[in-house]
Amino acid sequence: MPRLMDAISVNFRIAFASILLAVLGGTLLTILRSFKIRALNVNIIVLISFIRGTPLLIQIFLIYYGLPALGLRLSPEAAGILALSLNSSVFVSEILRGSLPSIEDGQIEAATALGLSAGVIWGKIVLPQLFRKTLPMLINESTVVVKGTALLAVITVVETLRVAQQIGASTFRPFEPIIGAAILFLGLYVILTTLGWAVERRHAQERR
Amino acid sequence: MHRSVVKVMALDPTVILNYWPLLVDGALLTLRLAAIAFVGGMLLGAVCATLSLLNYWPVRIVILVYLALMRGIPFIVIVFLIHFGLPSFGIRTQALVTGTVALTLYAGAYYAEIIRAAVLALPRGQWESARVIGMPPIAAARHVIIPQIISPSVPPIVNCTMTMIKESSILSAITVAELTYQGLVIQGNTFAPFEVFISLALIYWAITIAFSLLAWAYERRFGTASGRTSRMSPIAARYLDIEGKSGR
Repeated sequence: MPRLMDAISVNFRIAFASILLAVLGGTLLTILRSFKIRALNVNIIVLISFIRGTPLLIQIFLIYYGLPALGLRLSPEAAGILALSLNSSVFVSEILRGSLPSIEDGQIEAATALGLSAGVIWGKIVLPQLFRKTLPMLINESTVVVKGTALLAVITVVETLRVAQQIGASTFRPFEPIIGAAILFLGLYVILTTLGWAVERRHAQERR
Repeated sequence: MHRSVVKVMALDPTVILNYWPLLVDGALLTLRLAAIAFVGGMLLGAVCATLSLLNYWPVRIVILVYLALMRGIPFIVIVFLIHFGLPSFGIRTQALVTGTVALTLYAGAYYAEIIRAAVLALPRGQWESARVIGMPPIAAARHVIIPQIISPSVPPIVNCTMTMIKESSILSAITVAELTYQGLVIQGNTFAPFEVFISLALIYWAITIAFSLLAWAYERRFGTASGRTSRMSPIAARYLDIEGKSGR
């Protein structure tokens, strides 16, 4: 169990890094799409469709085993973070896109009338509201990322599931360590969803 | 087996051409697994949703725990739990059976949540009025509740089913011979990871696209097109619109 506890911190670290990168990447994708450059948007839409339409496991394999064939060799952990954050960027950008129309037109018109630059409009007006509105959904997405970290066991990242498998192999009792791993993941999930509820409740109160 | 750098840069189509039948077998099994998980999951989901809507707390708690377990634990861990757990209860089956059970249990939890949400979204009076005019519970469910929840739950169910198709790739970890597993077998024989995994990705992509086209056609025919009805001002659209539709 102590070994599993150590390992869950690896999952947490990888998930944390991936979520940060995903929010960054998702925001960037959203802003890029808002420029409505046709050639660029077609590419982004194909990328989004590809990532949403293929299993995360295959994406992980593709990045870890496939990229070296193109000359890019990554450590298991780096490949894992890349795969998770790439995957999640797409979902984050879809979440942000979904909430964009909920921002009032008048604010943008007012900001444009005041002569504020595009950077200020995005950075000080649109994005802060967008992140506040989508925070519960973003937290939900982060639970998906946390669950995704378990898949990295297949590319030899020494995270909770991998450690559980190792313990199972050395003790010939595979079931118990897997239960331990499941409990730890469940714990992480409960913490995150509780956080999500708290955020949602606070939002509901503020709106009143 | 050492592949030279020059050769590595070019895709080697023979890898896929030689092993094509394996991929077809795998894809068919993936579709079969998804179909079973869909049917089984919908049944399980409908039962769970109905039970959790009854105001009987012990049953509700059991179902709540089931849903939380399925949503909180990564699917790969659930698969291993069932794979290693069944034998310690004295049940020994093939990986294929374990995998199907795992996928169905997982799908059932998500479908239950969708159905439950759809029922709760109905106005409260629907059920009560149906009962008040003397409909027995079964008739009220069949003639009043079910017809109204079908159309709003189609999009999330389609979405969820696509997730199940993708999650089924994880069953390769317990040697269920679906698409990903066959890919790993080919990769073991050919050492051509890029070709193999890109083909796998393309096959999954084709399956999910076909599926979403189907759903799209359904929605065009029966569904109500959702979306913003009011037009956005062109200035706001510069920032808040992404598809470039308002520009027309």
